Amino acid sequence: MPANRSLGMDHPHYEYSPLPQRSDLSWPTGDPLALGALVLLEHYEWEPPSDTYSLRNPSGGLFKLPAPDYLQLTHREYGHRVGIFRILDTLEQHKVPATVAVDKLTAMHYPWLIEHLQSRSCELIGHGVSASRLITSKMTEEAEAEIIDESLSYLEHVSGQRPRGWFSPEGVESSRTPALLAAAGVHYVCDWPNDEQPYQMTTPSGALFSLPLFLEVDDEFVLWRRRANLSSWEKMLISAAHRLNADGQTSARHLMLTLRPWLTGQPFRIGALDRALSSIAKLQGVWTAQGSEIVDAFKASTKAN
Amino acid sequence: MADRPRISWPNGARVALWVAPNVEHYEYLPPRDPERNPWPRSPHPDVQGYAHRDYGNRIGFWRMLEALDRYDVTCTASTNLAVFEHYPDIGKAMADRGWEIMSHGIYNTRYLSSLSEEEEREFYVDCVETLRRHTGQQLRGMLGPAVSNTIRTPDLMADAGLTYHADWLHDDQPIPIHVEKGRLVSVPYSIELNDVPVFLHHYDTDDFVAMVKAQFDTLYEEGAVSGRVMALALHPYLMGMPHRIDGLEEILDYLLGHDLVWQTTASEIADYFLDHYYDQFVEHAASINEVPHAR
Repeated sequence: MPANRSLGMDHPHYEYSPLPQRSDLSWPTGDPLALGALVLLEHYEWEPPSDTYSLRNPSGGLFKLPAPDYLQLTHREYGHRVGIFRILDTLEQHKVPATVAVDKLTAMHYPWLIEHLQSRSCELIGHGVSASRLITSKMTEEAEAEIIDESLSYLEHVSGQRPRGWFSPEGVESSRTPALLAAAGVHYVCDWPNDEQPYQMTTPSGALFSLPLFLEVDDEFVLWRRRANLSSWEKMLISAAHRLNADGQTSARHLMLTLRPWLTGQPFRIGALDRALSSIAKLQGVWTAQGSEIVDAFKASTKAN
Repeated sequence: MADRPRISWPNGARVALWVAPNVEHYEYLPPRDPERNPWPRSPHPDVQGYAHRDYGNRIGFWRMLEALDRYDVTCTASTNLAVFEHYPDIGKAMADRGWEIMSHGIYNTRYLSSLSEEEEREFYVDCVETLRRHTGQQLRGMLGPAVSNTIRTPDLMADAGLTYHADWLHDDQPIPIHVEKGRLVSVPYSIELNDVPVFLHHYDTDDFVAMVKAQFDTLYEEGAVSGRVMALALHPYLMGMPHRIDGLEEILDYLLGHDLVWQTTASEIADYFLDHYYDQFVEHAASINEVPHAR
């Protein structure tokens, strides 16, 4: 439905909330900035089912080649085989606990990796079935609910824990997704990059929170889609953290990085992340945390249900 | 430009500077347009594209406002007028500061290009009435919604009582636009000194700052001979980001640190031009076009 010209948002998922109208937020440590990192493990299928939808121009590879596109598919898989370990090492070095979005086919094809992530205390969140099966309004509500449940249940099955968080494959949702996520017991969703603080979403059943990612410093957005150079990305990360740290003195902020092992995990890029995190670590007042910790702290501070 | 009547702005200013934050709402599920899809990344909705812009209204606008207030800038806000209905806090913040509200259509996801003449006439009535209802301001000009237009747009704008049109990138000075009835002028906007195209590709804040300064330096020098116009086009969802806002402050500090700058609104520029130069420019254009071509 096109918007009707009335107060607030043109969809039912959350209320409009201009920053100056909010009550002040504080983190449990008293720090002005919470820093987290969402690492994406996205499986691209060699032969996705014919009734599924993927991005027309997924990142990776050279340019879109007729299937099978070995370059795109293997470029992406580099993350699962090599890049992920560089990313985890770098995050650990700077004491940033990783939150990892894992799709069902990743969990199915790389069981060793799931155990490894658990041994390193990563928080695992739901990420659909695969990056070649996006959740869109083209599918029925039943099919969408099935994908959500299947993804969460499989992760629960292999890890022993039901994920509390969710990031839709390639960040693509239907207009039903927040309601279906809440109904499936998901606690927070990272699909809406529209804020510097978490906020509560409005759903017909269950409580769902939005934990916005920072799209403008997302590695794929900057380095692949915009083709900015690596040193500008490094500067962006540092200056974003500095400013959020300063602005967070009045009301706390979060900075949730999005990192793709196939991209930032490349040998020539990892140093930029390392240098940016070193510089951010020198700031006074940065609380490093996982997604669910940030959302729980938001709930505690705002007394949301 | 080489042969035109010379423009001198008030108080000997060399450059008339207007600052145009684009205050927008992109719809979650926009109506289908036959020619243009605002969200081509996925079937609608595109929550990533939507939320990216929504950031501007929740956070970016307010951070940008602090910087603009610090430099006491009187903006000309290129506004999707439905913003007054969806986000009255933003509307009030703009009106309280005495900013001029320029129409940027109703929504950034509804384009003029597919409207009939009758629909486009109704569109101007809607824009004029919406602005008056929420601010008491008389609407003076427009940057087409998502920079869309029709071939009839200038005539219909003039008919609806608008004075200036910002979609013409063809000059560094205001220029009379031929219309069937009344008078209409272009006030130069910019699709270069504009954070959207700059940050669409690989350029970053430092590049933007350097571009704006270099543009200003050239216009400031040339403006000693005949006054120039410079527009700074901004979007809260981009320039209001924490890693970009220092760039805006650096820009404002530099531009407003020059004495001979007239920081004003688009309608003030249009009015000054209409009062002092419009007739001369029309005559001059006519004289140029009378010169027979030498073969």
